[in-house]
Amino acid sequence: MNLKTAAKVTVVAGASLLFLAACGSNNSSSSTGKTKQVANLTETAELPTMDISKSTDVVSSDALNNTNEGLYRIGKNGSITPGIAKATKVSNGGKTYTFTLRKNAKWSNGDKVTAKDFVYGWQRTVNPKTASQYAYLYSGIKNADQIVNGKKAVSTLGIKAEGDYKLVVTLDKPIAYFKKLMGFINFFPQNEKVVNKYGSKYGTTSTAMVYNGPYKMTGWTGSNLSWKLVKNKDYWDAKSVKMKQLNFQVVKENSTGLNLFNSGKVDDTTLSSQQVKNYKTNKNYKVRQTASTFYLELNRNDSNKTLAKAFKNKKIRQALSLSINRNEYVNTVLGDGSKVSKGYVSSGLANNPKTGKDFVDDAYVKSGVEYNMTKAKKLFKEGMKEIGAKSLTIKLLSDDTDKAKQSSEYIQGQWQKLSGLKVTNNNVPFKTRLSRSTSGNFDTVLSAWNADFTDPISFLSLFTSSNTYNNGKYKSAAYDKYVANAEGKDANNTTARWNDMVNAEKTLMNDQGVIPVYQQATAHLTRTNLKGIIYNTAGSLYNYKYMYVK
Amino acid sequence: MRKYLLKRIFYLFLTLFIVATVTFFLMKLMPGTPLQNEAKLTASEKASILAQYGLDKPVWLQYFIYIGGIFKGSLGLSFQFSDQAVSYLIGSRMGPSMQLGGQALLVGVVLGIILGAIGAIRKDTWADRVATILSILGIAVPSFVLAILLQYYLGLKLGLFPVAGWSGFSYTILPTLALAASPLAETARFIRTDMVDVLSSDYIELAKAKGLSKFGIVYHHALRNSLIPMVTLIGPLAAALMTGSMVVENIFSVPGIGEQFVKSILVNDYPTIMGVTIFYSALLCLLLLLTDIIYGIIDPRIRLSGNGD
Repeated sequence: MNLKTAAKVTVVAGASLLFLAACGSNNSSSSTGKTKQVANLTETAELPTMDISKSTDVVSSDALNNTNEGLYRIGKNGSITPGIAKATKVSNGGKTYTFTLRKNAKWSNGDKVTAKDFVYGWQRTVNPKTASQYAYLYSGIKNADQIVNGKKAVSTLGIKAEGDYKLVVTLDKPIAYFKKLMGFINFFPQNEKVVNKYGSKYGTTSTAMVYNGPYKMTGWTGSNLSWKLVKNKDYWDAKSVKMKQLNFQVVKENSTGLNLFNSGKVDDTTLSSQQVKNYKTNKNYKVRQTASTFYLELNRNDSNKTLAKAFKNKKIRQALSLSINRNEYVNTVLGDGSKVSKGYVSSGLANNPKTGKDFVDDAYVKSGVEYNMTKAKKLFKEGMKEIGAKSLTIKLLSDDTDKAKQSSEYIQGQWQKLSGLKVTNNNVPFKTRLSRSTSGNFDTVLSAWNADFTDPISFLSLFTSSNTYNNGKYKSAAYDKYVANAEGKDANNTTARWNDMVNAEKTLMNDQGVIPVYQQATAHLTRTNLKGIIYNTAGSLYNYKYMYVK
Repeated sequence: MRKYLLKRIFYLFLTLFIVATVTFFLMKLMPGTPLQNEAKLTASEKASILAQYGLDKPVWLQYFIYIGGIFKGSLGLSFQFSDQAVSYLIGSRMGPSMQLGGQALLVGVVLGIILGAIGAIRKDTWADRVATILSILGIAVPSFVLAILLQYYLGLKLGLFPVAGWSGFSYTILPTLALAASPLAETARFIRTDMVDVLSSDYIELAKAKGLSKFGIVYHHALRNSLIPMVTLIGPLAAALMTGSMVVENIFSVPGIGEQFVKSILVNDYPTIMGVTIFYSALLCLLLLLTDIIYGIIDPRIRLSGNGD
């Protein structure tokens, strides 16, 4: 090998490298939009699938919600706005829904969207062979549970197409939030012809998929980090869609996102807690809450008998809650836009059907989430006397992420201010935390729950005595009764049902059944000229149908 | 030579087989399942979904099914990217990583040789000190710090290169530079040390005495001899660079394989863990084999043969 030649090649290559680079950066247009009705958005993770039955994450859920449509579309504040269903009739005491579908709804391949597409899509999701991880949402629809467990044939599911434009759904019992569920991607129709055409490749690229929503996806190869949503001209309500194109780029590092935002390449990015400090007053700063509560569970079945006794003592439970200064914790420890919990159910999830007040305000129990160290110390002392113990050593189980570690250290610090209480931290990987929680192998655990849909029951059903995810074994006959009523007797009575749920939450908080700590939120920089983005705290978070650039 | 090659290739496959076996059983010791929505599924729901994927079978049976699949040429389907073939995932993710790795290796090694040679020729002068400081920095400053600095100053402030993304050659420059720092530093230190030795050896003295030009000596006699041991360095360097850097790829939003591997472990994506492990091992084995062959070609003192060991 001739070194001289190699050296020459290197010099030439180096020079052309720089030259090409300069060209490249000149060519890329600054695309902040300016009435072009194009926006550049970011996602923090890859898009794993476009298969409606298999989506489990927020990225695919958002993509599917904007490229496809079900009987309804979830609008502002979780409201139900028109989708493929033109009219809905509820009969048989809330157990039969008859949907009349609009005739002008089309798939992007030209096929008509018919009632059969819904029947096919639903049956595909509950089919155990599909192994959908959200099939449990179908619970309550006739025979769904048995089908999921492989005990009945898929064809027995309570959904029937009467002709092309009439869909009849039969339920086992009235489901108060059934219409909301119809706006959830797992209940969207699927085109049998297309699913069969692509077989196991269905939903693995943007071309191996068909769309009936406001946008069509292009440019997703199944493993790349960028894709586009372009306006779907075949969408039945295409005249309401103003955006021509939404470009998505996966950006996993917040610092990269911020640099892209500041250089005008993207119009939205998420911020880390460090960045929040510097951008809190920026005009583009926006906090988006999610329906996700982080709370502490106390194991009433603890193998350590003294601890089990302690956690059954209300004064001790209250002392543990009162000693946490949630404001200080959220603002100085987390600092990422997260909010102090006002209760176990998250805020911004559901509003009183009559007064429009947020659920958390209706069900607010101050003592359940306030900070009062003096009172905490007093109650702890009294509680310890009642159970006849001098000192307690609690292990606090939590995830091993940086954030979870900071959280458990903070809680440890606060709890150790109670005399006679020693706390050791136990940070483990998420999956380990999960399995130890469900098997009851913990003293206290910092858990999180996200609502699947915008109804408080999505939270409240968790702490009934028989629920598998009631890890701390909270047991209250009153609570069980309120939840049972909300899901049964009062399902068709909006006001009574609301009151049941409010009472359940109040009972849980008065008992200090769990210790809510904070509600997760994500801080964003979103250009102020992006208008009409509908954001909900649960289900599919973003609805871009009415979005526009001003 | 042929016998030697056949033997090495046999060992390569044996190594891969052992790696695959050990990884498979270690992987099965990890807690948890590949289910993404695990927190919300009941035990029976989990069991029925896992049964669909054949994960309810005894581990040894799963192992034979997997190995059988490999012989049929299938690495299975990913869990995190539902239904995406692992071979497709690796194939499409490998391209960007290899391109970046290759470019970084080229830039790093070439600049490193130049820097190292300058250091050796101008030993104990300011030029040597600057070269030494640069190579120490290259090793001491982690690639992600460099990546962030490059992105902020060259990308955002000066606007010379795209900040992040992957749509053309210009997008590869900043990540290449960030990745090139460490091979550059390593090469420079290596070449300097080696050349200092060579330059003080008898045959160089002889060449000097014969009145050869300084460039001629350095270029024809010193550098060439110093380059031979470089080959051993480049093999593992290439493997390390081409298998992707999770941090640098994340910072520049490069659709590479670096993060894939780490993430697949975190989410118990068994087929992807296996696929990427086997692929990485194969790449490393191949590069090592290649190094040995090249060694034999360029250095006559080393003879490759099937016997004698």
